[in-house]
Amino acid sequence: MSFFTIALVLFFIMDSIGNLSAYLKMVESLSPERRRYVVFREMGFALLAMLFFNYVGEFLFLALDISEPSVRLASGIVLFLIAIKILFPSPTSLRAHIPEGEPYLVPLAIPLIAGPSLLATIMLFARSEESLLVMLGAIILAWSASMIVLLNAKRLQNLLGTNGLVACEKLTGMLLILLAIQRFLEGVQQAIQTYSAN
Amino acid sequence: METTQTLAQLAFTYFLVINPLGNSPLILALLKNYDPSQQRRIILREGCFGFALALVFQFFGQGFLSLLGIDLLALTFCGGIILFLLALQMIFPTGEAENKTQKPLQEPFFVPIATPLLVGPGSLSIVMLTAAADPDIIKTTAAITLACIAMIAVTTSAPMLQRLIGKTGMAALGHISGLILVLMSTEMLLNGVSLFIKRL
Repeated sequence: MSFFTIALVLFFIMDSIGNLSAYLKMVESLSPERRRYVVFREMGFALLAMLFFNYVGEFLFLALDISEPSVRLASGIVLFLIAIKILFPSPTSLRAHIPEGEPYLVPLAIPLIAGPSLLATIMLFARSEESLLVMLGAIILAWSASMIVLLNAKRLQNLLGTNGLVACEKLTGMLLILLAIQRFLEGVQQAIQTYSAN
Repeated sequence: METTQTLAQLAFTYFLVINPLGNSPLILALLKNYDPSQQRRIILREGCFGFALALVFQFFGQGFLSLLGIDLLALTFCGGIILFLLALQMIFPTGEAENKTQKPLQEPFFVPIATPLLVGPGSLSIVMLTAAADPDIIKTTAAITLACIAMIAVTTSAPMLQRLIGKTGMAALGHISGLILVLMSTEMLLNGVSLFIKRL
């Protein structure tokens, strides 16, 4: 996979555009300087989680004796369910119950930005991509792009309007479903190939 | 078979795949809680979204999907699954939604009407394939434009149907279109499965 593919997929799964309205609701009561600080801090947490899984992923595969197809299937399913929640909002979902006040680690850094599906994706990519440099570069690129989106949240909201934000959210939800299904199908294919080879 | 189609042929193909006649009752059932002028506004907006999406796919579809590593197959599955879930919601409306019918959580925006109902995986892949096969960009764009204008014209006149069949008729229509949608989406899913099996 190319550098840009990795970066783009990671950026979409972080879904900073889809998380904009949730983020804005959380930081509503904070001053602009405080907001910037919160974005830097939360994105810092998210980056730490991502880097952790980038390095530890391989070890997890071995220690828990997990095969690659199962990570593909599992992350595909989780991503699928997350995306379904975006497309069909239910009154019991996390997005409908965003806690008021300043986020600290939960829920902005984890799981909204660095959720289980993103971390599993990083595990998968880190395994198949040989060059550590490419992987780190892609993570940093996707991370910076998400950070820029969050830092300009207010401006984007004014530009797109509330309805425009909803449209963007739905469109990224659709894209996430596509990614999830692709991942799931690859998992099935890989599993079948593994079993028929044995 | 001729490799290049005339503008009219192409536009007609797109129109058939988008299937505005079959989709109008479905859209109407989804928008039953809005009054006709609102319905017309929403349908017009969604139609324009669908048109924009088709144009984007004409130019960037192939590059975008391959950049993300997504197969056409996943697109088919995606449309099938989303429409299937939608159909389940129509056939088995949840108690809560039924009680406070007046206003749903959110008015439909982009999903599900613009995509995958109007401009779904079928239309998107056809647009992508014909755009790749035919170097005449202007013709393809014109065909998409014609088909979308026709689609918008048909679907925006759908709210008039509501006056004809009344409130109880609309409730029945919702359930019946749910059934049709289940069939359509299962067909789409099966399509995806058979493509997937062939690829294995």
